[in-house]
Amino acid sequence: MKKQAQHIVPPAERANLDLDSGKYLVMWQGPNHPGITGNMSLRLVIEGDTVVDCETHVGYLHRGFEKLMERRLWMQNFPLVCRIAVPEPDFNEYCYAAALEELAGIQIPDKAVWLRTLSLEMIRLASFLMWIGGQAGAFGHGTIGQWTVTMRDYVLDLFEELTGGRIYHMFIIPGGVRGDVPPGFLKHVLETMDIIQKNLDDVELVMFHNVVYKMRAQGLGYIPPDWIDHYGITGPNARAAGVTRDLRKDLGYLAYPRLDFQPITGTVSDAYERSRLRLAEMYQSIDLIRQIVANMPSDGPFREKLPNPLYWKIPAGETYVAAECTRGEYGFYVVSDGSDKPRRVAVRGPSYTHAVSVMERLVRGVNIADVAGLMVSLHTYPPEVER
Amino acid sequence: MIKLATELAARYGSRGWHNQRPDLASVQIDLSRLHDALAWLKDNMGYTHLSFMTAIDNIERGVFTLTYTLRNHAWNDGKGHSLMIHADVDRSKPEVDSIHRLWGQAWTYQREMKEWYGIDFPGSPRVDEEFVLEGWEGPPMMRRDFDSLAYSDATYAERPGRVSHDPETYMKEKLYPEAEA
Amino acid sequence: MDIKDFIAPFAVWKRAFEKPFTVNKPIDERPGAPRYRGFHINDSARCVGCGTCEAICMNKAIDLVPVDALKPDGGDSGLRPRVDYGRCCWCALCVDICPSGSLGMSNEYLWVDRDPEVFRYTPGVEAKPWDGAELGYRRADGYRLLEEERVDMPELDHHEAVKSFLELVRGYSRQQAEKEADRCVSCGVCVASCPAHMDIPGYIRAVREGDLEQGLRLLYETNPFPEACGRICTHLCEAACSIGSGRSADGTPTDPVAIRWLKRYIADQVELADYGKALPRAEAPTGRKVAIIGAGPGGLAAAYYLALLGHGVTVFEKDEAAGGMLRYGIPEYRLPYPALDKDIAWITSLGVRIRYGVAMGKDLTLVSLYGDYDAVFLSTGLTVAYKLDVPGDKHPRVLDGVAILAAATRGEPLGLGRKVAVVGGGNVAMDAARTALRSGAEVDIVYRRREVDMPADPEEIMEAKAEGAILIPQAIPLEVKPAEGPDAANKATFVWNLAEMVQKEPGKRPVPEPIPGAVVEKTYDSIIAAIGQGPDLSYVAEGDGIEIRRYKPVIGPDGRTSRATVFAGGDLTNDRKDAISAIADGHRAALAMDRLFAGKEA
Repeated sequence: MKKQAQHIVPPAERANLDLDSGKYLVMWQGPNHPGITGNMSLRLVIEGDTVVDCETHVGYLHRGFEKLMERRLWMQNFPLVCRIAVPEPDFNEYCYAAALEELAGIQIPDKAVWLRTLSLEMIRLASFLMWIGGQAGAFGHGTIGQWTVTMRDYVLDLFEELTGGRIYHMFIIPGGVRGDVPPGFLKHVLETMDIIQKNLDDVELVMFHNVVYKMRAQGLGYIPPDWIDHYGITGPNARAAGVTRDLRKDLGYLAYPRLDFQPITGTVSDAYERSRLRLAEMYQSIDLIRQIVANMPSDGPFREKLPNPLYWKIPAGETYVAAECTRGEYGFYVVSDGSDKPRRVAVRGPSYTHAVSVMERLVRGVNIADVAGLMVSLHTYPPEVER
Repeated sequence: MIKLATELAARYGSRGWHNQRPDLASVQIDLSRLHDALAWLKDNMGYTHLSFMTAIDNIERGVFTLTYTLRNHAWNDGKGHSLMIHADVDRSKPEVDSIHRLWGQAWTYQREMKEWYGIDFPGSPRVDEEFVLEGWEGPPMMRRDFDSLAYSDATYAERPGRVSHDPETYMKEKLYPEAEA
Repeated sequence: MDIKDFIAPFAVWKRAFEKPFTVNKPIDERPGAPRYRGFHINDSARCVGCGTCEAICMNKAIDLVPVDALKPDGGDSGLRPRVDYGRCCWCALCVDICPSGSLGMSNEYLWVDRDPEVFRYTPGVEAKPWDGAELGYRRADGYRLLEEERVDMPELDHHEAVKSFLELVRGYSRQQAEKEADRCVSCGVCVASCPAHMDIPGYIRAVREGDLEQGLRLLYETNPFPEACGRICTHLCEAACSIGSGRSADGTPTDPVAIRWLKRYIADQVELADYGKALPRAEAPTGRKVAIIGAGPGGLAAAYYLALLGHGVTVFEKDEAAGGMLRYGIPEYRLPYPALDKDIAWITSLGVRIRYGVAMGKDLTLVSLYGDYDAVFLSTGLTVAYKLDVPGDKHPRVLDGVAILAAATRGEPLGLGRKVAVVGGGNVAMDAARTALRSGAEVDIVYRRREVDMPADPEEIMEAKAEGAILIPQAIPLEVKPAEGPDAANKATFVWNLAEMVQKEPGKRPVPEPIPGAVVEKTYDSIIAAIGQGPDLSYVAEGDGIEIRRYKPVIGPDGRTSRATVFAGGDLTNDRKDAISAIADGHRAALAMDRLFAGKEA
């Protein structure tokens, strides 16, 4: 079966459907549905078992973070930002801290640079491990999820050891990080990487060399290269379409310029290609983590002293700090009016376009059974849409 | 960059170019020329990627300041450059040209800004639909004059039994209650 | 489709014979990591109830609540943080910021209960199974949200200092002051310990925000001697400061905020000519007249607040200048006269009249004042030095410490000679010793008890030693004998008995007991007695209606004596015997007199 030939590009405009004609069925997928990524829902219009129209509905997870931040001290927002993207809190912590440091003119110690990089790569791996479970599960492969969520838990164990928290690490604090590595930690990291790598080898065999997965994922959700800029698509979704963009390389933040890696790209740009690419990025993460452990300085300060957090004022200004998260460009836009609280913090999450504009268009013409798999293949996180 | 700043100023009257980082700059532009400037940057200058767009409520000046952050991926040998374009819109009549035909995801941002700030983007698809605030009846919640704490206090009950004490006041009560204020 | 795609998935059957990744332990055997951010623990004995945890908590999860077993005192509010786990997000910023370092987190994360109300408790007060947990989140070494060290105060080098009467402490620059002010957490625990209850967090905030006129306004609300107190205050506030309640990584105590130096900074930075812009003017004259006896800090504080309220004030001072012990008892290198003069100039600018050279009992009687004035404030201080009370203490080379300091103020020759003994352990002794050092003498400080028992401020003791004074502790004076040898007429021999400290009664401080035979003799050019002073109440006649008990006028809480219109304060009645207590007395008496005039009290 060669599916590449069947790539259909859904039309840009929505069809004008007469919902009262009796021809169509309006069906909600989510917010409570095993095939939905987090708390959001799709309002699908189906003709037979084919989706002809879709609207993404968000708002189940809106917690008003951007508003809340405007009435909290700069440092008080540090435990708040991590909640904006639950499976990858560290990117929030990093972007927020880096934005503040840039506006306040603070250089962080080298040890903190490495620990932040380690933290970001570990959470990238953990997030991908959870994603791959969802991707396999959406096509009926529950086993993969059981394996990889266990693997993710091992990464969370590492986070617990390093930061004192499993989900919300609250480790990357403005000025640096909150602590040095505990004794024996780096050894645990390397041991865990070996276990995960071995498990990923199995996942590859079971999932990617699997006729069922191939039949269902290949050809699904084809993203044409000209969509990338038009929709602001970033991360693996863009790289699978052959676009060599990786902010770790392009922006060269933290310790990434000192690490040896190349952005991974694909060509086919369908759900299968995207998942293959993410698997490759998991191996890349493992490699990067090993590099970080090998290159990180063993001592030195890990945090720059800041003024009293109760009165800390940041000079007026604005900046946008972005980082490459598992889903693409994750960024914090921070505006200070010179006071002790932010004037405006806006969070840019890649799912904002992937889960809404891209999803709504891609799903037109897809079989109802493939909606969940398509959605997971875009790797969307609703909280970063709603903030 | 200087060339771009000059050309943008000449064509669209932009001003106040500020280099925040080597790979990040900001510039101010008049609202009436915003759409054309964005289109020119996108089609002719390589700023093809819309990272995000948002607004800041500068209530003191009576304006919303819009921020459009574009990214030129190719600049500087692929390292890229981001440009934040600002435009002020009158807070009492906030209407802005829609850019939904320039970028495919822009309509979502515009719908968000309609809901969160009350900024209208005529012609933008579904701009009047609820975005994340289903059933919200208060004022646009991101406006600075919407006091979220006052709203919360008025809407939700405090958990009973919570009372705190200020050390200075408490010590005065206990140690020198006779002292005059 | 490749045949491999049908077969490959079965390859992992080989794992069926391997040890599984999953664990089958019951969940209660899985302790949190050593750094786990679990339920809070609080070392209640170390906690000072400052509420900084509450201030940093972004969830409003912490309340400060009274604890029955704890009474508020100097550095402890008696309150303790209570955590509401319905709101806590386990970020541990409270642990990171805690000035005393008492807060921590255990690695315990399991707690099941049907009653939601129990998930709100006061760690360290309400017992929990995880109290005293060794494991759990603590802030890391090298990571603090608050600055533990105070900004160094520029000071003259001790070798330089001892050569002149130049002011030792140079004062903070703006940058230094604002940095030091940034250390304060505005908890307000210090306010209770200040006898005048100054708005310390308020004026530190003014320094931080660069609003020095506001700072000056706050200072003058409770203290019209900011220049003087900014230099020589006994700063009980700093002992109470929560920022000084912690321990640094090396185990030494953290530095309290330099509250006194910040007060001085405000007063130093505002020119006297600009005081009028910041400070209130006197209210319209009320026609009431008050006589104040003694132009020390207590008397002038009363004068200032009375004048502000519109009452006419006349101060009677026996000496030729105002300031009392601030001028005649405190050496110039600690409190330069221009600084004191600035404080006094502002007080007199409100219309306070000071009549110099008028001694009570000699030039004026109380009874004569009763007729002319609506009220009288007695603040005559302690003017009579105690004698050594050993045989030979009338020897002409036995001098009086306070008199030496006054002579130094007046610029009179001291004639102390080359070898000087100072007897006593209080601030007057230290000042006398350091004045003697500046006159070129070698100085021994002879004190009955141990150094830790000395009533002088620790920094004064430290500086006296640094400037070259030799401390001879546990030395009980026995006798002053005429000296022998050449020039014997201008010398005296001081004899003391070395002592050991004996704990006579449990709970009380140990007392020095002479060691038999350990008698030391040393010949000095001068022996300065600085073992305390008493009042001169000879001007109070029996018919004045003022009850005196144990050499003090008996006063009520507002400073009123047994005669309704006569008040007293300062060293005369106040056991603390420091400037700030005298100022507080003066302020309190002024307010009480105002109430008296308003007819609010009998």
